[in-house]
Amino acid sequence: MINTKILTVFACAVGLSACGDVETGVPFQGLPSDKSVDRGINSHHLSTLQAGIWVDPNGCDHWIIDDGVEGYLSARLDKYGKPVCSGVAPPTHTVGDFKGGSNIPDPN
Amino acid sequence: MVNTISKAIRAVASLSLAVAIAMPMAFAPTTADAQTRSQQGRDKGVYTPTIWVDPDGCEHWVMDDGAEGYMTPHTTRQGIPVCRRGNVCGVMNSDQFFATNSYRIHKSGKARLSEFFKKTGAVSYIITGHTDSRASDAYNMKLSYNRANAVAAIAVANGARIADVRGYGERQPVAANNSAQGMAKNRRVEIICIR
Repeated sequence: MINTKILTVFACAVGLSACGDVETGVPFQGLPSDKSVDRGINSHHLSTLQAGIWVDPNGCDHWIIDDGVEGYLSARLDKYGKPVCSGVAPPTHTVGDFKGGSNIPDPN
Repeated sequence: MVNTISKAIRAVASLSLAVAIAMPMAFAPTTADAQTRSQQGRDKGVYTPTIWVDPDGCEHWVMDDGAEGYMTPHTTRQGIPVCRRGNVCGVMNSDQFFATNSYRIHKSGKARLSEFFKKTGAVSYIITGHTDSRASDAYNMKLSYNRANAVAAIAVANGARIADVRGYGERQPVAANNSAQGMAKNRRVEIICIR
């Protein structure tokens, strides 16, 4: 299973097919409409994602999550709906263990 | 003429949008009406999200389609984020810090605020001033902003970082303005702590 995933992830990276099925382990069957879980290895419900902060070039905060093969980015807003620009780090820098929720390493 | 046609098209478009909002079930896609390749998979292009709650307590729509992850803030139709708890870590009752129509903070109020900012130690703070609904909206916008600025000045004097200072006047009430108690509740300065 792990080998299948690494292989398919590699296949994805070099532009081969079956990327959509990369995390099912069962290629070409497709996935159901329920997108609330990360399937395959390191599978988990998405409510358990682990975020850090990424500071945009304007100095405003976003929640950043590297969940293995998926990445997520969503604006940090205060209760009035305005962007939070906390100054926690310089623009383009990150804070916190946003890769900590997954054990799939990045190629960097 | 061109204008009339484009108006008609827009009218039809907004009507169909209204219908789509009113009866989402009627538009449940089938293989037969798949518009593009993106609606032809097993999921028929239907992406049902779940909720992820960020460390501030606010909700985001989140989806994983097997290869990609997607996320966007869950807001109301007015664009206000849906949060299970706020980051408001201090609400100052204005009556305890300011005289009526004044934005000067008493000496004892200054000491209390200095103590607050020293012990809280957040990454930064957002200060928002609010009033009750007496006097004009414009006057209240100005008074609430001046009061928020007075609080921010004490924060800065104590080494705190200020992310933003705002005056919302009477536009963000937390209670009805039809009683003395309600109005007193609305006269406030909120301190949002960013950790």
